[in-house]
Amino acid sequence: MEAASIPTPAAHEDHHHGPPTANQSSRVNSEVLGILLFIISEIMLFGAFFAAYFFIRVVNSDAWPPGDGLPVAVAAINAAILLSSSVTMHWTDVSAKRGNDMAMRVGIVTTFLLGCTFLFIQINEYLHLGFTPETSASASVFFGLTGLHGAHVVIGLLLLWMSAVRIFKGKVGPNNHRGLEVPGIYWHFVDAMWIVVFTTIYVL
Amino acid sequence: MAAKIRQPGWYRALAFSILGVLVCLGLSTGLRAAFSVDPVYDGTSVLQISLLMVPLFFLGGIGCFDYWLRWASGRTVVDDHADHGAKSWRDYFKVNTDHKVIGIQYICVSFFFMFIGGLMAMLVRAELASPGRQFVDPNTYNGVFSIHATLLIFLFVIPVFAGIANYVLPLMIGAPDMAFPRLNALSFWMLPVAGTMMLLSFLAPGGSFAAGWTAYAPLSVDAPIGQAFFTIAVQFAGASSIATALNFLVTIITMRAPGMTFFRMPLLVWANFSTSLLVVIATPFIAASQFMVLLDRALGFNFFNPANGGDILMYQHVFWFYSHPAVYIMLLPGFGIISEVLATRARKPVFGYRMMAFSLLAIVLLGFTVWAHHMFVSGMSDWIRIPMMITTAIIAIPTGIKIFSWVATLWRGVIKMDTPMLWAVGFISMFTLGGISGVMLAMVPLDIHVSDTYFIVAHIHYVLFGGSMFTIMAGIYFWFPKMTGRMYNERLGKIHFWLTFVFFNVTFAPMHLIGVQGMPRRVSDYADQFATWNMIISISSFILGFASLIFLYNMIVSWRSGPKAGSNPWNSLTIEWQVSSPPPIFNFDSIPSVVGGPYEYGVPGAVHAILDQPAETPVAAGVGAASEEN
Repeated sequence: MEAASIPTPAAHEDHHHGPPTANQSSRVNSEVLGILLFIISEIMLFGAFFAAYFFIRVVNSDAWPPGDGLPVAVAAINAAILLSSSVTMHWTDVSAKRGNDMAMRVGIVTTFLLGCTFLFIQINEYLHLGFTPETSASASVFFGLTGLHGAHVVIGLLLLWMSAVRIFKGKVGPNNHRGLEVPGIYWHFVDAMWIVVFTTIYVL
Repeated sequence: MAAKIRQPGWYRALAFSILGVLVCLGLSTGLRAAFSVDPVYDGTSVLQISLLMVPLFFLGGIGCFDYWLRWASGRTVVDDHADHGAKSWRDYFKVNTDHKVIGIQYICVSFFFMFIGGLMAMLVRAELASPGRQFVDPNTYNGVFSIHATLLIFLFVIPVFAGIANYVLPLMIGAPDMAFPRLNALSFWMLPVAGTMMLLSFLAPGGSFAAGWTAYAPLSVDAPIGQAFFTIAVQFAGASSIATALNFLVTIITMRAPGMTFFRMPLLVWANFSTSLLVVIATPFIAASQFMVLLDRALGFNFFNPANGGDILMYQHVFWFYSHPAVYIMLLPGFGIISEVLATRARKPVFGYRMMAFSLLAIVLLGFTVWAHHMFVSGMSDWIRIPMMITTAIIAIPTGIKIFSWVATLWRGVIKMDTPMLWAVGFISMFTLGGISGVMLAMVPLDIHVSDTYFIVAHIHYVLFGGSMFTIMAGIYFWFPKMTGRMYNERLGKIHFWLTFVFFNVTFAPMHLIGVQGMPRRVSDYADQFATWNMIISISSFILGFASLIFLYNMIVSWRSGPKAGSNPWNSLTIEWQVSSPPPIFNFDSIPSVVGGPYEYGVPGAVHAILDQPAETPVAAGVGAASEEN
């Protein structure tokens, strides 16, 4: 396969060393499309765990909720915290596009801290539930769904951390905000997914 | 040495992997100490955490994450294309971002696992050659057929299609590379990790995983630790699949050359578009099913523990919601290959191009509505059987549209029966047989009768060997001159085909008969009445295995010293044949413009795409034309 490196017979000397710029055949940006497709995959992953929920709670009519009632009020406050982080995330994004450096920095830090608060409350709730995944299948479903969501909050926070580092190193601005926008889309997905998890697990 | 460990590569990968094991050891003992679990050291726990984490350390060491970590730490990253393109064979053992290099890496690694999986099949046939025990005990036998199926499905058929498409798809649509070249490299490197993990399960205490490739719960939950190797390896193979599919979709949607409308795309591109949709939507389900098994195994969850309210059928529903679409993931790219080969070698436009594209999408949609036909005898609610039977029969319609369109493409074509064409035509006949036994199996009464018999084994091999494998062979022979710049040996190619075609049928056709008579699958022993047929099948399967060695010899020798092929030995119109063989390192000097359909064969003066500079010199074209005829 040495031949792979042989350039085309056409004069190549004066040519730039790099690929030709690809034709942009869609109005959608490739990074944004990539994260949207990834989110479809993620929704299906949650879908499989919701299938487990459906089979165990609805088809088998196992006892629900597991344990003696779930702390709905705490979870609702937590939902409000996570949703407000979506608002600050959007604010961060808009500020980046407008070039408002200060607002962008405050925004990303606030979003990150709200996400951490959510995670902290969630773990605290786990410790005080009075049941574990080993208790019953319903408990497994509870921990499976909320834990899967928690893992996604962690991934989202990691992405936000990367964006924050780049923001504070001055790498994000009106002309260079893809590294903030894409984690932002993922963060909105994590928040929206919590509404579904919260509704099915705590409310219904 | 220290400098070598700092550079991405195998030394660092080894160092990181050792570090990874130590970290997992610390993590396991640390956590157990913190929660005061006795004993503090638990080998099973360390092993399971290591299976999950050491591959990540390995991937980091080999250099999959370097660029991203630099980016994430806020440094200025410049892509100097240093890891793009291969200058010697050594570059194929490094992380590379060139889709052509990754394509060849994919193909070689998946064929490596194909040969190992094939050896497992030989072992199965050796054991089954006559009744009673021959070589392996029943437990090892279970492991051997489980690894045979797992390797050939997850490490061969699915990734080899990704490899072929990786190589030709960006060229076909006039793109300089895939949309996310580094993600592409990561997708590839997860494969050898997954395959190695599956093979390593033989060394696990209690033997390898032995619950079949379906790994039904609760069998997989209670099995020895070898099963965890399957559970976790599938996560890596699945993640690899999803990342590649996402990459294909973004590439096809955003990077087509000017003029390359959706209905000017070659059908291989359409096929991979459809497959990628399936992968992105369905593969998370097998990931979830294995996550649940892992949670049950490792952390005492109760998803599949009926004693605590768990639901075993749920595993089968979630598993087959992926694994039925997976059947199409293992076929649709092959459909694309066949369309390319047939049109080019019959010198005719593909009959019903639009219907071919739409039928692919119809298969994608219908593929999600048939999963429970794998569960007719599972004890699920009876009423689900009827709709599943009907949808399964309906999915034969778009598939039938494709078969008839291929046949109509051949009709009155100028057919050249060379090796790729032989495989393509062989595929049409064999896959039709597999499809017909598929429709038979969709019928609930027949399915109940032949469930878990060799009829099922015959069916799956007619669709996966006579179907997928034949298309893979057609594709490998067809694009071999493009990938290597050299021509394979036509004579050996034909011998390979005819041996495979004949002994494929001798091997698998009798399985229909003994299956209907009740020979059970996945059992290492059988009643004496099946002895004659099994001996014939075993002998035939060894010849089948031998035929693949001819293929291996042909590929290696032709790659080293075959005659130069020229850039377009098949006189094809699609773009990948308009550049040199192998293509230049960045594919094109400037992006081509597409001006017509991809299959306008027989139309005087028809052009699919215009490239700035003709990449081939007249001399090369002459050699190509000369080596084509035989």
